[in-house]
Amino acid sequence: MKKIITISLWEYVEKVKTKAFIISLIITPLLIIAVTLLPSLLLQEDSPKVEVIGIVDTSGIFFNYLESEFRKYELPNGQKNYVLVNLNQLNKSYEEIKKIADKDVLKNLIDGYLIIEVDENKDFVFGEFRSNLFGNFKVVGRFEEAINYIKTKNTLEKAGVPDNVLEKIQVRTIIQQKKISEGDKTSDLDFLTTFFLSVIFILLLMMMVVYSGQLLVRSMIEEKSSRLIEMLISSSTPDELLTGKLLGLSLLGITQILIWVLIGMSLVASSLLPISAFKNFFPMLAYFILGFLFYASLFVGIGSTVNTEQEAQHVTTYLSLILMLPVVVAMPAIQNPDFIVTKVFSYIPLTIPTVMILRLNVQNVSGIEIFFSMIIMVLSIFIVTKVSAKIFRIGILSYGNKPTLKEMIKWINE
Amino acid sequence: MLIVKNLVKKFNSTVAVDNISLTVNPGKIFGLLGPNGAGKTTTIRTILNIIKPTSGEIIFNGNPISYDYYNLIGYLPEERGLYKRSRVIDVLVYFAALKNLSNRNATNFADFWLKKLNISEYRNKKIEELSKGNQQKIQLIAAIIHNPSLLILDEPFTGFDPINQQEVKDLILSFVSEGKTIILSTHQMELAEKLCEDILLINNGKEVSSGKLSDIKKNFGGNNIRLGFTGDNSFLKHFPEIIKHDNYNNYSDIQLRDDIIPAEFLKKMIGIIDVNHFSVIEPSLNKIFIDLIRKNSD
Repeated sequence: MKKIITISLWEYVEKVKTKAFIISLIITPLLIIAVTLLPSLLLQEDSPKVEVIGIVDTSGIFFNYLESEFRKYELPNGQKNYVLVNLNQLNKSYEEIKKIADKDVLKNLIDGYLIIEVDENKDFVFGEFRSNLFGNFKVVGRFEEAINYIKTKNTLEKAGVPDNVLEKIQVRTIIQQKKISEGDKTSDLDFLTTFFLSVIFILLLMMMVVYSGQLLVRSMIEEKSSRLIEMLISSSTPDELLTGKLLGLSLLGITQILIWVLIGMSLVASSLLPISAFKNFFPMLAYFILGFLFYASLFVGIGSTVNTEQEAQHVTTYLSLILMLPVVVAMPAIQNPDFIVTKVFSYIPLTIPTVMILRLNVQNVSGIEIFFSMIIMVLSIFIVTKVSAKIFRIGILSYGNKPTLKEMIKWINE
Repeated sequence: MLIVKNLVKKFNSTVAVDNISLTVNPGKIFGLLGPNGAGKTTTIRTILNIIKPTSGEIIFNGNPISYDYYNLIGYLPEERGLYKRSRVIDVLVYFAALKNLSNRNATNFADFWLKKLNISEYRNKKIEELSKGNQQKIQLIAAIIHNPSLLILDEPFTGFDPINQQEVKDLILSFVSEGKTIILSTHQMELAEKLCEDILLINNGKEVSSGKLSDIKKNFGGNNIRLGFTGDNSFLKHFPEIIKHDNYNNYSDIQLRDDIIPAEFLKKMIGIIDVNHFSVIEPSLNKIFIDLIRKNSD
């Protein structure tokens, strides 16, 4: 036991000290958070300034309506959000107005302008919003809504439909999404937030598996190629060495998780993430740790048969691709919870962690299913460790060619 | 005392070690010799309990070798390497801890050996910053830091300059006087000849010769002389007394028929050539090695 602790501490301390580990520890989650949270942050941001927008309205009937309609939009400080300017006041030809307005936009005198074209019946046919940037989704959306309203109103009026019909039509239908779970609790957590959270968890798991797997395999290659391994196993049994390595790697993983949880908590504290996002946190964490242990034990066994960096990279890449497989079926899984592939993946140890992390947040997974999948994970970790130990015992002493599957099976049966 | 009895190790159909027996007494250096691929490493690995023998017994101090013996064994593998990016002191303490030394003892012993081998100044350096020779010294310390009673050294001298070689040799001899059981595996016959009292020569997994080095030399064919002379050596082939001769720049090593008395042969030579050196010599281990392995391989 003392030797196992010695080995695991050595594996842990020597790896924690590496620059690569420290970088991955902090950079990985920051990158993932930036990629997943930034777009929504940018979209949500309300521009706090008053926007000056020109209107080129050849019919003359839209401007007044739009101006009165846009008065209802106010900034948080009580100022009007938009100042609409009627560009037809310039008394110039359409082409000339366009030229002047384009210049004003480029000089930032106005934030943009809207061109409304109508036919001979003064019905709207075409609209164009010109500004010096794309992505004026909010203001364009508001124009569309307003023009749509007046178009409908005019059409109905012409057809002789009373005004109150329009009011009735205009009441927007809103369908709210609620997730039902046991005990009549409902949750109205934003679907995208939960989905992204699962994806973040899966990405973190994958990065961790790939990263620490490579770390482990690389250090084993070093030990093998320098025959250090012979000094090690003339001091401790292969089982002690394997257990020590697994433990050291797990310690490394726990360090990573702890720091990442801290980052996550600080995000909650700064209200970037709702606390409700962590509703399924503990089962997710359990799958995360089980998944990590499973892959770590797999890596120790296979890693012991590898002799070169190149082989090591192949092995780690293939294994992590399998881990990523469930994300590919994620969308069908969410749309159709009974999707057969999802069900199957929920019982394969290679994919249980990712599938279950995904499903926990988008479906109601029964307690029995959680229980069974965890039992499967624990059992397979146990079995894989046993098998890995057998491969490890011989693998670490075999140099030269990578053993074939047949040879490995023979080692396991030995 | 280490006793290996009828050791056999098979890998699939190939027999790596075929019925090898040896006895290593404490306070003596045992030479395990043989060409590349003879089965030395496999023999060593079974003694270390790294691999299980197919059959045969390995007994150390009266008990069959087991995992309990790990802390008594020191092993220096042939191919060298250490954790390159780790500090010297950390690596040494790690290996000592693996042999069940406490942290404090490990540090003390590490400092003791670093000082003894004159490399104290590298204590806190990373391994990769050290020269090859100094890295080898670190590895040697890692093998002996726990004061093992059975020491297995595979090619301990390669990579050292003559001064360091002398240092390592003195170190090994000091272990002999402490009564340690030492197995030395090497291709450097001159050093083996100077250090080993008993040897085992193996080829293709089988024993070729074994026993006291002095006995082996005596039995090998003893009637050898070294003859130094000026002039051409082609005359040597005309003498029926000579079985074999190896010619060098200024002298020839000559093996005479067993019934020839060297002094009589010298008298005969003086009449023919200008002799400037004459000595009766033992066959070198190097020569024994080459001759025996050649004969065995035929």
